[in-house]
Amino acid sequence: MMKKCILILLVLTLFLSGCWDRRELNELSITMALGIDKVKNEYLVSAQVIVPSEVSMQASSGRSAVTLYQASGETVYEAFRKMTKDAPRKIYPGHLRILVISEELAKEGISESLDLLARDWELRSDFYVVIAKDLTASEVLNVTTPIESIPANKMFNALKTSERIWAATEGVILDDLLTNLTSDGKEAVLTGIKVIGDKELGSSKQNVESITPSTRIQYDHLGVFKEDRLVGWLTEDEGRGYSDITDTVEKTVTAISCPKGGKIAIEIFDFDSTIKGSINKGEPEVDIHIQAKGNVGEVQCSIDLTKPESMNEIQKIYEKEMKELIEQTINTVQSQYESDIFGFGEAIHRSNPKEWKEMKEHWDEKFANLTVHVHVEMKDLRIGTLNNSFLRKIED
Amino acid sequence: MGFLKRRNHSKVQSTSPSQTKETSSTNDLKTSLQDNIQNVKDSLGESSDIVIREIRIGKGGSVKAGIFYTDGLTDTPALQNFIMESLMLDIQGTELEEKLTAEQDVLTSLKDFAMTVGDINDVTNFDDLFTSLLSGDTILLVDGYSEGLVIGNRHWIERGVTEPMSQTVVRGPREGFSENLRVNTALVRRKLKDPSLWMESKIIGTRTKTNVAIMYINGVVNDKIVDEVRLRLDRIDIDGILESGNIEGFIEDSSYSPFPTIYNTERPDTVAAALLEGRIAILVDGTPFVLIVPALFVQFFQSPEDYYVHTGIGSLIRALRFIAFIIALLAPAFFIAITTFNQSMLPPALLISLTAQREGVPFPAFIEAVIMEITFEILREAGIRMPRTIGSAMSIVGAYVIGTAAVEAGIISAAMVIIVSITAISSFVSPTYNLAIAVRILRFGFMALAASFGLYGIAVGLVALTLHLCSLRSFGIPYMTPLAPFNVADQKDTLIVAPIWKMFTRPRLVNQKDQVRQQDPASAKPQPPQK
Repeated sequence: MMKKCILILLVLTLFLSGCWDRRELNELSITMALGIDKVKNEYLVSAQVIVPSEVSMQASSGRSAVTLYQASGETVYEAFRKMTKDAPRKIYPGHLRILVISEELAKEGISESLDLLARDWELRSDFYVVIAKDLTASEVLNVTTPIESIPANKMFNALKTSERIWAATEGVILDDLLTNLTSDGKEAVLTGIKVIGDKELGSSKQNVESITPSTRIQYDHLGVFKEDRLVGWLTEDEGRGYSDITDTVEKTVTAISCPKGGKIAIEIFDFDSTIKGSINKGEPEVDIHIQAKGNVGEVQCSIDLTKPESMNEIQKIYEKEMKELIEQTINTVQSQYESDIFGFGEAIHRSNPKEWKEMKEHWDEKFANLTVHVHVEMKDLRIGTLNNSFLRKIED
Repeated sequence: MGFLKRRNHSKVQSTSPSQTKETSSTNDLKTSLQDNIQNVKDSLGESSDIVIREIRIGKGGSVKAGIFYTDGLTDTPALQNFIMESLMLDIQGTELEEKLTAEQDVLTSLKDFAMTVGDINDVTNFDDLFTSLLSGDTILLVDGYSEGLVIGNRHWIERGVTEPMSQTVVRGPREGFSENLRVNTALVRRKLKDPSLWMESKIIGTRTKTNVAIMYINGVVNDKIVDEVRLRLDRIDIDGILESGNIEGFIEDSSYSPFPTIYNTERPDTVAAALLEGRIAILVDGTPFVLIVPALFVQFFQSPEDYYVHTGIGSLIRALRFIAFIIALLAPAFFIAITTFNQSMLPPALLISLTAQREGVPFPAFIEAVIMEITFEILREAGIRMPRTIGSAMSIVGAYVIGTAAVEAGIISAAMVIIVSITAISSFVSPTYNLAIAVRILRFGFMALAASFGLYGIAVGLVALTLHLCSLRSFGIPYMTPLAPFNVADQKDTLIVAPIWKMFTRPRLVNQKDQVRQQDPASAKPQPPQK
């Protein structure tokens, strides 16, 4: 009796499952990149859909590996579904890698258009969000790429790699973006993406047939948001300053000046920054502590690296230039955008929750006049596989 | 179910009274030799292989006697040398011949002095006479006596001790059981020269009269399980037992479970090891497959070779068998679930590659998998049944149809061929054929669950399977021992194979008495000599 009961219960549980959605693989339009534009009060959604037979090794016939479907509607979801008027299969966004939002839409505000993407169960919220700089999202999705035949993969991997080893770009996934949009003490940034060259030509297969493609996709600088609206762009150096402050640097290369002219490139392989908030005489203050470890990567000047003094000197220069860069970045953001993209507000919130409650409402003004102390320390500078640069010998 | 049970029951009841009537008829041997001969001839329908030889022995041929044997089952040279010759030639002119007159007890004299054969018994009724006669014994009846002698000189053409076809090993003894019960018991005796190795015999099958032997080591075995085995064997009431599988069908705990609760083996070393662990072996005449009870789930993952090789490779291969079991059970189901329900679990590159392969495939993944699985099962069955000589032809056709042509024709996706092949190969890893059968049956169930409910269906199926496995018992021992109920000491031979010197206790639940196998475990570990 007991056994039968358990058996019946088990069988019944089978029918309790929520998502009944059986689809064969060849009934899916695998979408790895989505673009959202705003055209005359309507959303124009572009989906870069993979043509599986072209991607696979054996059967490719030389046609494009992806195709673009577009539809517009008053809401993103509507446009999404409307796409089936054109697309032979249902759009499957489960493997979405990158979402491109046009600069125009970003300036108006992005939160409305993101709701579907955060709500839909099929989507994983770990795809990157980027801003199409000076052009529409659909134009970005319309460019063929060499090496990676799927442009979405190229965009995803390029951002992932450059974020890791170059640091002037920021790979922001949807989850982080939503956190930053809703958080009080931190504003969002998104990396810009741009198309270099002839946009018309970029969509054809010929584009990738030459060694130097006439049209390419490239990441650009960081876009600063205030609330959910794009307010401006940082320069490349400022972008790196931003990465340094927010501790998203894994590895990077920094060029600094030699004591007697020329340049030294330092490869940073261990970088750590902490932001500490405090209240001094009723006014908020922020301390940034940075610790870096690095290698001398490239020497273009005459300096005796075997002497400890010169190494100390290099470290000092690095610390000084780094400090300047960071201070300059903060200055720009404070004066031009008044948007706390660094999360200083969060730091104050953590250190002084009571005071934070009072200043939360008018934090933007407080941020604009915030005192920031920057402390940079470089440790363990190494010199690579050469002692002194052969430049020194040539000069001798 | 209840309905079926009731019907079977009434059938059994209706047949049993008629059987008892038959046996209660005039069964005892007559005093007249002629009457007995006539009765034998009538009962056996004058079968041509029954030889009846009438002779006269004793002084002046005063005593009439009859010799009965079955041609082909009896050792004819022995019959001529040690029975006919003794009776008719050797005793001429001896003291014994004087005694052989009608007045004396001829039978006892013959038994005591004339028969130069080891195994001699008395027989007083026709039932026993026929059993012995048809088993190959020689029967000697003497006129004037209502009893006779059964002379054990059975001998028939048989297969010798050869390498077992199932459960092959790289390292380990190459001998396997044969069809002869005596040879089989001898093979076990040869491994275990222990006076406590006891053997009980039973005759099962009202017409086949099959010899069945129960072997165990007294003092190690759990007596309750022996009682249970006896009880279950005594309950069998059928006319014929042709293979140990028939016995298994009657005494196993759960007939409808796909999982075997009785172990079978062709290997004497496996039987000896099982006996040492306190298990019971059931040997059946006419088959090389010996049953071992109680049988636990983990036992079906154990190969005798595990204990003959290094502990590292033993453990690794044991783990591999569990993995292969899971693959054989779930691989097609998992593939179906992932590709039709849970695509988001696939890495992007794999998703694209699989999608590309599926372009133009006309069937849903489930149908595709079922087609391939059935094709494979057909090939496999054909491979077993067909004449050996056309084997290579079939393997070519099979490999080509399954492998290349189906994919090139676009009927089946390449990935599915890989999955089915992996599944097939994995199911051959199992050291026991029984468990592989269970997996073959359950695989289709899991595929259906996956096709209807995705990974969720598989999860529910696994829960049901676990519940079922935990509810099974083999002769009173929980089937999943020592995993559930968990037993630390027995883990030494479950998921891993511990070094032999660490196995100093017998499995806990199987055996309750005489737990310890090595008296001094501390000194069992090999070590350099101490100064």
